Amino acid sequence: MNYGPLLFLGILFTLAGSWFGLVLMPNRQLGDLQPHVNTNTAAIYPQPIPGEAAQGREVYRSLGCNYCHTQQVRPDGFGSDIQRGWGKRRSVARDYIYQKPVMLGSSRTGPDLTNIGERQPSYDWHFTHLYNPQTTSKGSIMPSYAYLFDVRKIGYGGASTNALKLSGDFSPGPGFEVVPKPEAVQLVEYLRSLKSSVELPEAPLPKAE
Amino acid sequence: MGIISFILIGSSLVFPAVAVWALWWAGRNGQLSHSDKAALLPFDEQEPVGRMTDVVLNRPRALVSGSGRISS
Amino acid sequence: MSTPASPSVMSALSPRDTAESRDRRAELAEIDESTSGTVLLFFLAGMAWLLIGTLFALIASYKLHSPEFLNQYAWLTFGRIRTAHLNAVIFGFSAEVAVGVVLWLMCRLCRVPLMAQSVINAAAIFWNVGLVIGIGGILRGDTTGIEYLELPKYATPILFVAFALIAVWTIVVFRFRRERHLYVSQWYILAAVLWFPWLYSTAQLLLVLEPARGTVQAAVNWWFGHNVLGLWFTPIGLAAIYYFLPKVIGRPIHSYYLSVLGFWTLALFYNWNGFHHLVGGPFPAWMITISIVASVMMVIPVVSTAINHHFTMVGHFGKLKYSPTLRFIVFGAVSYTISSLQGVLSSVRWFSEVAHFTHHTVAHAHWGMYAFFTMTMFGSMYYILPRITQREWPSERLISLHFWCTALGIILYVVPLSYGGWLQGKAMLNATTPFLEVVQGTLPWLKIRTVSGLLLALGHVAFFANLIWLLARRFGPYRQPEPMILAGVTPAAPVGK
Repeated sequence: MNYGPLLFLGILFTLAGSWFGLVLMPNRQLGDLQPHVNTNTAAIYPQPIPGEAAQGREVYRSLGCNYCHTQQVRPDGFGSDIQRGWGKRRSVARDYIYQKPVMLGSSRTGPDLTNIGERQPSYDWHFTHLYNPQTTSKGSIMPSYAYLFDVRKIGYGGASTNALKLSGDFSPGPGFEVVPKPEAVQLVEYLRSLKSSVELPEAPLPKAE
Repeated sequence: MGIISFILIGSSLVFPAVAVWALWWAGRNGQLSHSDKAALLPFDEQEPVGRMTDVVLNRPRALVSGSGRISS
Repeated sequence: MSTPASPSVMSALSPRDTAESRDRRAELAEIDESTSGTVLLFFLAGMAWLLIGTLFALIASYKLHSPEFLNQYAWLTFGRIRTAHLNAVIFGFSAEVAVGVVLWLMCRLCRVPLMAQSVINAAAIFWNVGLVIGIGGILRGDTTGIEYLELPKYATPILFVAFALIAVWTIVVFRFRRERHLYVSQWYILAAVLWFPWLYSTAQLLLVLEPARGTVQAAVNWWFGHNVLGLWFTPIGLAAIYYFLPKVIGRPIHSYYLSVLGFWTLALFYNWNGFHHLVGGPFPAWMITISIVASVMMVIPVVSTAINHHFTMVGHFGKLKYSPTLRFIVFGAVSYTISSLQGVLSSVRWFSEVAHFTHHTVAHAHWGMYAFFTMTMFGSMYYILPRITQREWPSERLISLHFWCTALGIILYVVPLSYGGWLQGKAMLNATTPFLEVVQGTLPWLKIRTVSGLLLALGHVAFFANLIWLLARRFGPYRQPEPMILAGVTPAAPVGK
């Protein structure tokens, strides 16, 4: 019973099926998506994110934030994503065309971040939260990213303008201040750039109530 | 979208059909007829059907003797 | 004192001890011997990665309920240590032990010695060098950020070369086989070694080297991610079960026809499953639907394989008392059925709406990769190692400790975390429950997970100690109670009908 040839053909043909269906076809259908131009305002969406935020995206990737945070809003009626304010509308393929790599995420140990830039526009909130998540979200299991900050002695000129406003147990002690390193600034710029509020023909915003 | 669904539905019919045909072809050529024999491939004269080959735990004490070499 | 068993005892106990059968045994011994160094190399490296991966896992698990633990260094942050864990146990432990099992099984079933071992030994070294560089890279922060493909692009070419050598060598062994008949394990192995390079090269090309546009990346990512489990680890695990289950109990597989059906339906449906990881995501509906349909179709191979394994075992459960291989293999086979059916369920929309994005998915991954695959590999190693080293396992106690720690440990991992994950999903669906409350609700289950991790770690250490002890004896004086081959025919030991 030598059916080596049948075996080889079968093995190759079966995988060819899904390679065709799940790799080539999606690439054909979604691989050439272009940004949408609004005919009234001539606004183009999406656009590549600007420099500092783009660097922040690398920090986000490098620290593995995507293992606890998704960046995809499920449609209304499927999950509570929109009710929770994680996005104004569902995410669609066009939202992601400039992302390399796409970090949809597969776990919501922490909340979805698709719309975090609108939900938390404040720099202060982001910096103190990253420095120690307990400052803003008591009971969170997110780790502290204190290594993205410098703790240093306050100089003669007084406290730095970008020093974190920390109080109580979180403050670094009298005479010291906490200032963000460039990576922290980049990461916060990235988080603030995440917004899901632009309407697309395939994903209209819900009507105002 | 139209052409994509056409191709997908088509391929989802064609691929299983090819597989079913291949199985039929294999059967017709006698490739499946010795399946009883193939099932016996792990066994041989020294370790025939009916003999357990991995007795390591809870061995009866009386048998604990001899060397550590095993004849494969 | 090490006298070989006397010939008279040998022939008295082995009625069919003819010149021809002795030749056949000598051939088998020669084949086992030819694989010895290479298989040992893969097993030892794999076990080293298992210990490292377990340590990473414990750190990651502990951090998830106590975030202040070891949080002063970037390289120890959850996002990196979790990823290092995954890559160490998948591409370090699982893949390397799998290659060892594949080579040994393939040589045995083809009845040819392993040729030019130095080439494949070099592949083993390449593989490990690639992994050290890659996992070091992840800890440094060079991850690609793509699940199951995190190893940075400066490490992957090394891995690819190593894997290509392994695949080519497996096929070479097959090409020069002396046994013309094919056994079901060989189909699974051939399929696995042919599928994996295709998957890996496509994924590398479209995700890392020349990234596709937007969400096409996510599509390719999950086509690959699911298929690494479905078309690489699953076939190898099944190949091992199909060989060791009949071999240990001394009874041919219940229905060879069912195994044919199981193989071809798995080949046909499993590779379409990937997009069930994207239910509710930013994709056209047909993509998700096609994967859900294929996932449901997986019931056919899973059930036919389960029936086949179970009916082979029926009437032989008493043998679990004697054989560590059988214990692990049966545990793995049962887990395969459960985890696959759970996987089918998880792919359906209403279930996915709750369980997706929760710890339920993590529990499911461990059902598959640990309760099924890892346990099956442990069982295989218990069978293979004495035969390639010509020594018995030194300690029965350590074997029992290993079995019970890992078996109970993984049940303690999977069952509570599946349930906890489900509760987490339910809580998340209710938009009025504050998110931090959802997080707090997961803590008890995450703590249980850490406890189960400690049990698993203890089991791994016990196994590693036994393995090192076995190897140490190989090079020193030894005394052994009883040759294994004789144990199989003694009246007190169970002999099948």
